[in-house]
Formats: sequence, structure tokens, C-alpha cells
Amino acid sequence: MSEVAEKKAVVATPREPLFSTKNRKLLTDPFDDNNPITVQVLGICSALAVTTQVYPALVMAISVVFVCAFANLAIALMRKGIPPRIRMIVQLVVIATLVTIVDQMLKAFAYDVSKELSVFVGLIITNCIVMGRLEAFAMGSKPWPAFLDGIGNGLGYGAILIVVAVCREFFGAGTILGYKLIPEAIYSAGYVDNGVMLTPAAAMFVIGILIWIQRSRNTKLVDIS
Amino acid sequence: MADINSNKYTIGYVVVMTLIVAISLAFMATELKPRQQAEEALEKKKQILNSVSDIQDKSIVEKEYPKLIKEVVVDAQGKPVEGVNAFDIDIKKEYRKPASERQLPVYIYSGDGNAKSYIIPLHGNGLWDEIWGFVALKDDFNTIVGTSFDHKGETPGLGAEITKDWFQSQFVGKKLEDGKAYAFDILKGRGNAIEGKVHLVDGMSGATITGDGVEDMIEKGYKSYQAYFKTVK
Amino acid sequence: MDLLNIFVKWAFVENMVLAYFLGMCSYLAVSKTVKTAFGLGLAVIFVLAITAPVNYLIRQYVLVEGALSWIHPSLATVDLTFLQLIIFIAVIASMVQLVEMIIEKASPALYNSLGIFLPLITVNCSILGGSLFMVQKEYNLIESSVFGVGAGFGFFLAIIAIAAIREKIRYSHVPAPLRGLGIAFIITGLMGIAFMSFMGIKL
Repeated sequence: MSEVAEKKAVVATPREPLFSTKNRKLLTDPFDDNNPITVQVLGICSALAVTTQVYPALVMAISVVFVCAFANLAIALMRKGIPPRIRMIVQLVVIATLVTIVDQMLKAFAYDVSKELSVFVGLIITNCIVMGRLEAFAMGSKPWPAFLDGIGNGLGYGAILIVVAVCREFFGAGTILGYKLIPEAIYSAGYVDNGVMLTPAAAMFVIGILIWIQRSRNTKLVDIS
Repeated sequence: MADINSNKYTIGYVVVMTLIVAISLAFMATELKPRQQAEEALEKKKQILNSVSDIQDKSIVEKEYPKLIKEVVVDAQGKPVEGVNAFDIDIKKEYRKPASERQLPVYIYSGDGNAKSYIIPLHGNGLWDEIWGFVALKDDFNTIVGTSFDHKGETPGLGAEITKDWFQSQFVGKKLEDGKAYAFDILKGRGNAIEGKVHLVDGMSGATITGDGVEDMIEKGYKSYQAYFKTVK
Repeated sequence: MDLLNIFVKWAFVENMVLAYFLGMCSYLAVSKTVKTAFGLGLAVIFVLAITAPVNYLIRQYVLVEGALSWIHPSLATVDLTFLQLIIFIAVIASMVQLVEMIIEKASPALYNSLGIFLPLITVNCSILGGSLFMVQKEYNLIESSVFGVGAGFGFFLAIIAIAAIREKIRYSHVPAPLRGLGIAFIITGLMGIAFMSFMGIKL
């Protein structure tokens, strides 16, 4: 398995408390040392697609926390029975089925919510964070740590998403969550919104700079090769 | 436990998993379909009405729709077709047929006194997935009364702006033809000088492809109804 | 001619990575050296070239409304399109599983260097995106095969290009915290902007 997997393949001992140091680390690590986007390089596509505005970024972050936690839990429960040769198919079928069921339910009982979320369904199923965590963690750990790992990674991913979205919405459109923040006076003085911030390429720059900031603070992540 | 590497176990696992997934999904799909279809129908009614008014409350949509909208179906020659429910026609499927076999729905709105608006359905492709909508025309079949657009998967903040008011409201009063030929155009990006130009509207910054998609679907929709417009004029 | 157009369009003009920004994760993570990038690029071409036509056939003969009428006329009203996403993914996952087994046998060194990003080809959005684009553009069987190869080739080119740049950039004075991943993000952004110049080309 990859180095990512080895690093995270902690097997919890049976009698430890629910929020032991080790388990708390599962929740906090993804914010910095093991951030899904800036360190593990997972979930980039969706981070580009939903970060033009803060609102969709928030929705996506919340959905990913849910899906990641429950997919991790489901796979950790099933892990001993999954035949190794078809493990990917099983993992994806589990994710896709969970997401499809929720989507269909929403379509029938909360149509307006489902309309809002329908854009995200495909992005969630193919979000590599979900499958990445299944492969790297849930396949080899107990349900409870796996569940925490899912929540932690979902939140770590969400945090980056929101930072990127704030940058892009503010510089690209002058708003945050739709509220105008840059006063008209500045526009009339010649300020123009930066349209490039709305293209996916700008998201790459923002994430690149975030990595720069993170690694100058946290020097053990610096790439020495 | 059986050897999880054996072929027998693997195949058995696949069969059981497929059965569980297939049954639960099929059950969901059949049980929920009537509800989903009802919701979708209501959404479509709301969209049709939104091209001429801004009723948002769905219970009002349900109540007012039959009073405000008259549905007709016409064929490629513009002659009315009897015995077909206009509302159930999926314009996407009609576009796949040869032009002469298409059945085209028209929704006639008569809410504002005597002046009628003719609402025609649109369908096309955005950047990622389908986009669709309705455009309402005055009885000169040139001036736009209003539009409503929707999409399946355009990027929020970029292509998804087609559902926003600022984009849709600029179509009001614009003209599709300049007297000789089709002349309507969606420009690239926002902030173009469109003041006083009756054939131009602003596009969306960073979503030129979605804007082109909207332009194409309006042109395609408008041209398919030419025969009908002539018979009414 | 049309087929050549489709190929060029998806390899360059609508490049999955640099125009649509799909398949980013494996693209960024596996592009440290040209050698591994080459391996992953080939794997992606292979998977896309097979899944596009296979998914086309499944959709045409099983999923769309009326598709099952070849079994029995009474099935003409069955509409299974709600299964589309799951079936597409299952087909992709089985192809990737196959590729994984082949690479593991044929080249253990490549297998180790690809690590977790080999199974993650499954959720490489450019592959599922490929199948969904094929549906949206309403390609036929031959067109979808060409499309699959073209899109895969586009990914291959993009990943080789960035791997080559990253190999060279090691000799320049990039600030230490920006080395590796950080600069790779920024280079990709710049490459994406460069690829925007293809946008005006209508094929």
C-alpha cells in the first residue's frame, strides 16, 4: 500500500475510550498535518468546481462530511467480508448506492433541496476523498475510528474549500455569500472585479499559495526531494 | 469464515450484493416515482409561468396554472394536433426526430388582459450537462416578454448564473429578428455596452460556453416554430 | 474526418485536465517523474478507451427507455436510466481492478510508485466524466470509442507535460515550502490558462 495508507493505518486497541488521544488525532490531523487537499492531494476536482462562491462550497463541505463518515463506517463494518479481488467495485457500489438513495428520497420528499444538491451528486460519488479514505483507512480499521476519520477528513476538506471560496468570491465578484462587500465608491474610483478569479485556473493558484503558507508554518511537510 | 480469496466466495458475494442493491434501488424507484413525477410536473408549471410572471409559491402555481395557460400542440407545418397532451411532450425527444415529424407544444398565456404571450420550450447543452427553459414572445413573435432557464450541472457562480434574475431579466423587451434575419446574440462576459441595442444581452463572465448554449437553444427553439408563427400571424 | 475531429477536439481543445480541470488528483499526485506519469497515462488511456464504448453499449441496449425491447416487446416502456451512474461506475471499477491486477503482475515497481492512485483511477473524474460527456454529446459506438481514446490521450499528454516540467523545475530556486506540490498547482493553473487559447477553435 502507499505511504499515505501506512501513515494512517493505526489499529485501535479494543479497550480505549471513545475520544482517546489517538481518536482525537483522527479528527484534528486532517486540518493540518494530513489535510486531504494540500497533503494527500485528494478531492481536487470538486474543490475547483464548487469554490466560485461560498454558498455552494458550504453545501458541498457538509455533504462530503456526511458521505465520508457514513461510507467509512459502512466499509469498516463490511471490511472482513469483502473479497480483495473486487474490493473497488464493492466500495464504489456502496458509495454510489448510498448517494443515489439519498438523492431519490430528496427528489420525492424535498424537491427544492434536491434541485439545489443535484449538481453535487456526481461530484460526491467521484470525489476521491471518499474512496481514498476507504482505501487508505476504513479497509483496515474498526468502525468507530473509521467514522471519526471520515468526519475529520470531510471537515479538513471543507475548511480548505471555504478558504478558497472566500478568496475567489471576494476578489472575483466583490461579494461574500452574495453580500456586496466592496463599496461602490471603490468601483467608481476604477476598481474592477478580477474575472480570472472565477476560472478554475485561479483556484489552482489559490490552493498553491495555501500550500505555500501551510508549509512555511509546518516545516515537516516540506518536500525535500 | 469461508476463504475470501476463493472464486466461489467472490462470485457469491457479487451475486448477493447485486441483488440487494438492485432490489433496494428498484423498490425506491418504483415507490417514489409518482411523487417525484408530481414534483417535476409542478416544477415545470412553475418554470412556464416564471417566463411571464414571478410566482414562486408552488401552491399558487398549482392553482393558477390552468387559469392562465392554454396548452396547444402543433406539427411542423404549424397545424394544431388533436389528442396529444402538450404538457407531457418532452421537447428533448422531439428534437431527435426529423423536423417534419415533430410535435411541438405551445403554452399560451393570457394573464395580462387581451395581449397574449406565446411560450415555447427550449432545450440544449451547457458546459457540463443539459440546460433547458422557456421563452415567452409577444404576438409579433419577435419581442421577448420573458424567459426562464434552468440547468442540471452548470458551475455555481459561472454557468449556473443563467437561473439568476439579473441574467433572465435583461432578455425582456429584446427582439430576436431585425426584420430580415435572426439577429439575437448573447455576448461574452458582463458589462458590455448593450444600452439601447435590441438584439444583444450580456453573457456571464467565465461561462461563455453556457452562454453559447443558451443562445443556441433559443435560436433552435425559435426556428422550429416558424411555421406555427406564420399561421397565427 | 469527423472521427479525426473528435479525436483532436478531446485531446487538445477540450482537454479533460487542462480545459475541464477533471482528474486533477491523480494528475497532481503522480506527476513527480515522467516514468510514473507515463505508466498512469497509459492506464488512463486504456480505461477510457474501453469504458466509453462499453458504457455506450450498456446504455443503448439496457438503460434507456425502450432499450430492452430487443428482449421482448413488452419491455419497451422500461426506463432504467436512474441506474446509469451506478452501472457506469461499476464498469469503470471493474476495468480499473483489471488494470491493477495487470500492472501488479507486469511491473511491480510501477505498481508501488502509483500506490493508492492506481485504485483511485476509478474515481478519477475524467473517466466518469468521459462516460457522461459521451451520453451528453450523443455519440454513436465508433464515435465514443474514438472519443475515449482521444480523451485518454489528452490526459496522457497533460500528465507527461507537467511531469517533464516538474523534473526540470527541481533545478531552479523555488522557495522551499512551495517545492513539489505547491508549485505543481501553480504550474497547472498556468497551463490551464495557456490551454484556454484553444477555446475559440470550433471542430
